[in-house]
Amino acid sequence: MALAAKSNGTQSLDDSIQRTKILLLGQQGSGKTSIQQFLFNDVPAKQTFFLEPTSRTTKHPYDTVIPLEIWDCPGNITLDSLGATLSEFSSIIFVIDIQDSYQQPIARMLDFFVAAYQENPAATLEVFVHKAESLAEDYKIENFRHIQQRVIDELFDTSQEYEQMPVNFHLTSVYDHSIREAFSRVLHKLIDSLPYLEDLLNVFCSNSQASKAFLFDVKSRLYVATDESPVDASTHSLCCDYVRTLNAFGPLYKSASVNQDSRLFYPSAAVTLAQGATLTYHLITPQLALLAMLHPGVFEERRGLLEYNVVFFREGVQEIAVVERDARAGNL
Amino acid sequence: MGASGSGKTSMRSLIFSNNPASLTSRLGATIDVEQNHVRFLGDLILNLWDCGGQDAFMDSYLSTQRSTIFQHVGVLIYVFEVSTHDAVKDAAYYRDCLDALQRYSPEAAVFLLVHKMDLVAGDRAALLERRTRELQGESGTVPITVFGTSIHDETLYKAWSRIVHTIIPNAAVLSKHLTTFAQACSATEAILFERTTFLVIATSSPPDEAHPEQVNNDLSPTRYERTSELIKALKHSCARMREEFHALEMELPEFTAVLDGMTRNTYILLIVHDPTIETAALKINIRLARPKFEELQTDSVLA
Repeated sequence: MALAAKSNGTQSLDDSIQRTKILLLGQQGSGKTSIQQFLFNDVPAKQTFFLEPTSRTTKHPYDTVIPLEIWDCPGNITLDSLGATLSEFSSIIFVIDIQDSYQQPIARMLDFFVAAYQENPAATLEVFVHKAESLAEDYKIENFRHIQQRVIDELFDTSQEYEQMPVNFHLTSVYDHSIREAFSRVLHKLIDSLPYLEDLLNVFCSNSQASKAFLFDVKSRLYVATDESPVDASTHSLCCDYVRTLNAFGPLYKSASVNQDSRLFYPSAAVTLAQGATLTYHLITPQLALLAMLHPGVFEERRGLLEYNVVFFREGVQEIAVVERDARAGNL
Repeated sequence: MGASGSGKTSMRSLIFSNNPASLTSRLGATIDVEQNHVRFLGDLILNLWDCGGQDAFMDSYLSTQRSTIFQHVGVLIYVFEVSTHDAVKDAAYYRDCLDALQRYSPEAAVFLLVHKMDLVAGDRAALLERRTRELQGESGTVPITVFGTSIHDETLYKAWSRIVHTIIPNAAVLSKHLTTFAQACSATEAILFERTTFLVIATSSPPDEAHPEQVNNDLSPTRYERTSELIKALKHSCARMREEFHALEMELPEFTAVLDGMTRNTYILLIVHDPTIETAALKINIRLARPKFEELQTDSVLA
């Protein structure tokens, strides 16, 4: 067990651990691969236009707070050709192009959702109404509502027992931060330890006079947890951009001639804004970083205290990560 | 100057008005000459003449308005679209402009931007080299500097940083002081940026003209431009939150960096590779150096 904790530093994509599976479904060209590549491979939004259609199901492993496996399917996949039972998946995401005619996609989606619901009622069912950037503001909300209503009506028509089926809707686009926000929310439902992480963040916020704190996955820039105050879109996008800037800055001034032991080093950064508020960044585990929006003056005057709190927070998160890993490896 | 639709106004809006690249498609054609006074470094006022590129305007610049347009020109920036529709006409106008410039302001520096490089598929470097040779041929004996640029990446900042570098009267003195300051901070590098445009004004250890690749050859060669681009993007996100970007400090595994306001209209970026140097120490140094640089800058603008 102690050895497992040590190997935390490397992003080992170990096959033996049990991964949480997410299934990406949708018509051909609805943007499934774009979403996957944009989030996890840092493909710029503009480049997603050039992606080839997916011809067979690809599995993308990704390690964050929990190990994920994202299944990217071709548009014409059926229940039989999937090659796995739906009960294996913790979350099923169906992507609909907002400009498409919805009749056919919704019919296919319901087939999948009904089958999944019967096999595993605990699976979360998500609908991404995608490519929202192509419509004007009023229009897209209207279309979004329309699709939502349509799905609920059809579910009700099929059978009354499906009325309670927990289907969540998200309006998304790769050209702003809405896809990150939506995928973050999907991810939250899959993290068993989420309440503990949130508790830690709440304690951190109240003790460090932070108005908002996020725990971000550094590479994909999804947030895995946040404190109890509501998420406001502009703070979220600032945090996303901030992490992106830091990621890009690293290699920019990297010097090949200076070598140092980085094993025990946790990077940190801080942006000071005009009114004195500070947005801080502290790496917590190799994958996760804590971003906190601090009230004016706190960073200058009580930095020691802040860093002390960060150390405690880090220990807490790392303990949770160890338990999580052991559970998945079957040691518990 | 440049042909219609080559991207002159887009470029201006991106660099001087802080608009993101995605909004430039909304810009209309420039009618006649739009004159802009841009405050650069506080007291240095750049008088930017954005000349509409449609043929009718170009003809009038070169005939009736010839003496007005080409009088007292400090820098001529001529924009070429990389995939031009009518290369012969472009070249003819360019030669004509150059003639006029030689007559009315022979001292002016000439920069040629081969713009919209992002639209080129395949080998951009080879294409740029070919265009450079062609343009050199067109210009005859006039010394020119050619850049391949695009508003969607950092190349535009590189070009403009070089352009403003020629305008600032005593950039060399600034560089010298920056080098001293960098040594005092044990910093690998100190870079001075203009506050609103985030163009590079001066750097410590200015790259040796003869062997640019030998100085700091282990650092990425496009780092200055990338920094301009990144910080500007971050400033944008702050602006969306109705906040204003003020300072940035980071301790990354690779290096320590502090970005802070130096004078009223500049920012300084210090890059330190020694892990024992604390950001607080760098910040104090910056604070202490402020009066000196403030003084230097006033001198440089008045000179």
